[in-house]
Amino acid sequence: MQKEEKQLELALDALIQRVQDLKNSLVAFLSKLENEYQTMSWPSVLDNFALLSGQLNSLGKLLKSEKVPILRNQILLPLALSPDRDQELEKLTERRVFAFNHEVVPDYLRTKPEPDVEKKIQESSVRATINTPDVAQKQLNAMNKVTSNILDIINSHRDDMESDANQKSSLAQTSSMSDTNALIAVTMFGKGLKSLRRDSSQSQPIIQQQTQQPKTQVSTGKAPSAVKTNIKAAAAVTVNKQEFAGTFTSDFEPGTISSHDNILTLNKESSPAAMSDTLNKANN
Amino acid sequence: MDQMISKVSKFAPTNEFLLQGSIMENAHDVLLHRLRGLCDNSDSPFETFTDNEMIFSMKNTTITQALNLRVRHSLIEQDSWQVRYAGMAEMGDKNRPTMVRHVIDCSTSDNIVLFLNELGFRMDHEFVIKGFYFHKGRMKVTVSKIYKMNQPGNTENLEPFSTSSLVELSVVTQQSGGEGIAEDMKSFSEQLKPLVQLEKVDHRRLQNI
Repeated sequence: MQKEEKQLELALDALIQRVQDLKNSLVAFLSKLENEYQTMSWPSVLDNFALLSGQLNSLGKLLKSEKVPILRNQILLPLALSPDRDQELEKLTERRVFAFNHEVVPDYLRTKPEPDVEKKIQESSVRATINTPDVAQKQLNAMNKVTSNILDIINSHRDDMESDANQKSSLAQTSSMSDTNALIAVTMFGKGLKSLRRDSSQSQPIIQQQTQQPKTQVSTGKAPSAVKTNIKAAAAVTVNKQEFAGTFTSDFEPGTISSHDNILTLNKESSPAAMSDTLNKANN
Repeated sequence: MDQMISKVSKFAPTNEFLLQGSIMENAHDVLLHRLRGLCDNSDSPFETFTDNEMIFSMKNTTITQALNLRVRHSLIEQDSWQVRYAGMAEMGDKNRPTMVRHVIDCSTSDNIVLFLNELGFRMDHEFVIKGFYFHKGRMKVTVSKIYKMNQPGNTENLEPFSTSSLVELSVVTQQSGGEGIAEDMKSFSEQLKPLVQLEKVDHRRLQNI
């Protein structure tokens, strides 16, 4: 008996110690919240919460440990209630409770919830047992449906956002550095234009020679001037006319015939007077 | 040339501040509308130009660098001819927001080509440039496409050089007193990002590629 009482006393001391610690850290946390709320950072708030929860945990462990006798079996019994101020009690409770009277005792010595709270708890537990497993399953399914729908909506939104972001990154490609460089190089230095120009300037004389060839059949190589070649051609034609008289058409190959025909039509009535006329025209 | 510039600069603005970039075909219209909103006269229709630019150069044994003159004439208003000397654009250090180059612009008559040929200049290359221009205060913005001329002298038979368009932001100022304008240009170019990156482009590097 003696031993049990001692054990209880030790356990109570330990409990009081732990509760005291808890109270102290609560007070410290509250004063911090009241005085330093402007400068306090979220991590330090979390630190305080961690401290409190650690202390609560150790209190719970203590209550469950084997060294502590089962407190439920102990009976606490108010022997006397008095409406007068009790100085000792005031000191013990740090001026929180002034008298051990009818008003406070039911609150402080309560071992069960309040009757109306108890009633509410009972009601909800009854309601929970009313549901048959079928109904519960149905409700579960409905809940799952709703949550999966919400999940779908969230996912589709996420997809939309991601594709938007992708589009933005693809839109960013509105200018290219290499194009800029190429454009500047072409405007400043004609990069990409000069080679083209060189090609065309080489091909140009060839075309001219080809077009001139039929007219200047006699003159070989580069013609000194258009007027001179005309004279030569005309002269050649007159010579040809005399030489071949009426038979020239049969002796020539088709290609050369046509070229001579051209010149002939030009110079058919090329008497010396007409010749000098055309010469004058050319000179003018 | 520098002496000439210092002479000319007494009565004409010769300093050109320049930023360059390009815009791809797909964003071309977006850029035009943004520029229209940002620049002056936003309620009037787009102002366009079609020019033929011929670059005449004179090489000399005494001058290692060929002297280039750019003759430009409008294909819309046939009488409008201009000749421009443009120096090499200087990048400056990193703190300088734009390139700067010496420029002399001069309006001329249509016989400038003959005149330059008589002086000993020879045409180096030519192209057709078509585009839009905007202005905002002193700043000039051009968005233009460059066209190759398939036949020399024929401004009808054209082939686009690139699908992208050249974007240039420039201001021509007096030799002195152009301090604030470069900052203005920089902040204007920021408003066109990320559509166009208007930047300093090292022309010397491009020439050597």
